[in-house]
Amino acid sequence: MNSFVAVLRKDLMLEVRGGQSTVALGALSLLVLVVLVFAFNPGGGEQGAEAAAGALWVALVFSGMLGATRAVSAENENGCIRALLISPLDRAALYAAKLAAAFIFMAVAEAASIILMVLFFNLEFDARVMRLVPAVLLGALGFAALATLLAGISSRLRGGDLVLPLLAVPMFVPALIAGVKASASALGGAPFGELAVWLKVLVAFDVMFVAAGYLLFEYVAGEE
Amino acid sequence: MTSALIEARALGKSFGPTPVLRDVNLSVEAGRGAAVVGANGAGKSTLIRLLAGLSAPSLGAALLFGEPARALRPALRRRVGLLSHQSMLYPNLTARENLEFYATLYGVEDARAEALEWLERVALGAAAEARVRGFSRGMEQRLALARSMLARPDVLMLDEPFAALDAEGTALAAALVVEAMGRGCAVLASAHSAGAFEEMGFAVLMLSRGRLVGAPSARQSAARQPLARQVS
Repeated sequence: MNSFVAVLRKDLMLEVRGGQSTVALGALSLLVLVVLVFAFNPGGGEQGAEAAAGALWVALVFSGMLGATRAVSAENENGCIRALLISPLDRAALYAAKLAAAFIFMAVAEAASIILMVLFFNLEFDARVMRLVPAVLLGALGFAALATLLAGISSRLRGGDLVLPLLAVPMFVPALIAGVKASASALGGAPFGELAVWLKVLVAFDVMFVAAGYLLFEYVAGEE
Repeated sequence: MTSALIEARALGKSFGPTPVLRDVNLSVEAGRGAAVVGANGAGKSTLIRLLAGLSAPSLGAALLFGEPARALRPALRRRVGLLSHQSMLYPNLTARENLEFYATLYGVEDARAEALEWLERVALGAAAEARVRGFSRGMEQRLALARSMLARPDVLMLDEPFAALDAEGTALAAALVVEAMGRGCAVLASAHSAGAFEEMGFAVLMLSRGRLVGAPSARQSAARQPLARQVS
């Protein structure tokens, strides 16, 4: 537990000092939302809710890839990943710490994205926006789990930044659909039962990829 | 049952069709030191990486404490220190924060006090709260040496430990390594030349094109008899 806390604390400290991930995630989210709000030109009602939900999840996917890549690739600078791999640190604890860091980066970026989405898509800061929170947090956790695992592979490859989206996005599609549907339901004021169906899909996705990352990170993070 | 803490048995490594290491046999016992000397591309760093468990052998076995280095238990990993070409330090952390972080990972009691003590030992006490990004290469190397030794390992692997160090830094690093050997640490080092290691009583092995060639000099053999070595 001490090691998990030490790695997470170190990652957050580096982020606070460098600010690279959070600034980049925020800027990317802003860019995506601005482009999509002009592309969709949303009116009110159900159509507006669906457009807003779609824009939010596009921002989530892009920012998630950046956050996960940063959390893992930071260890490649000066070969720090090697020091971690030969240390007594349990590889699963290393994955858990990296996942937690990526999740926190994404959650911060998503909070900013939700505020921007409400402003750009002419929504109200009301209970419907609060109903977004479970879907967005579950989506962020699932994508962080998947992208952290895959970033363990791609960060060591030449052109790894290109490989990560090619691997991650297709695998995230089921959760992406569930997340967009859940968010649209939340923003459209649909009954909780309708929302819950999609939340269950997100929970299943999270369980699957957190477990896969926990079990497989040992093999993807090592060399050769 | 072997008493060697570091051991290579018919160790080989290839990258694709290109062999980088071939049939390397060596062992280093507790309190002994061996230096692998060779030109660029001879395979020194690959040998260190294999024995540190960072890379999988293509042939043979790389053993630490008699167990495969690649699958070492965490309790044994705690007893291994590695100084690599890269410093393995976080540029945006201070010198103290770097050492404290690694001390925590290695379960060192009172990580902060231990970090500060090692900073003094490598003459970086005054730079404890400075970020590593601003360090000179020599300062970074001294800090990296402290990082590799702060858990007081029983096995120490040093890839060109004196690189980038001035005469004073080299003497300091050599003293720390000899001290570690004095308390029973087995040390395997690599370098371009044998100079400093001969003075430290290391057995010197020549590595050429991935093969160990030549015998330890008579001087080293007489001084320590540190190494059981075979060359096939």
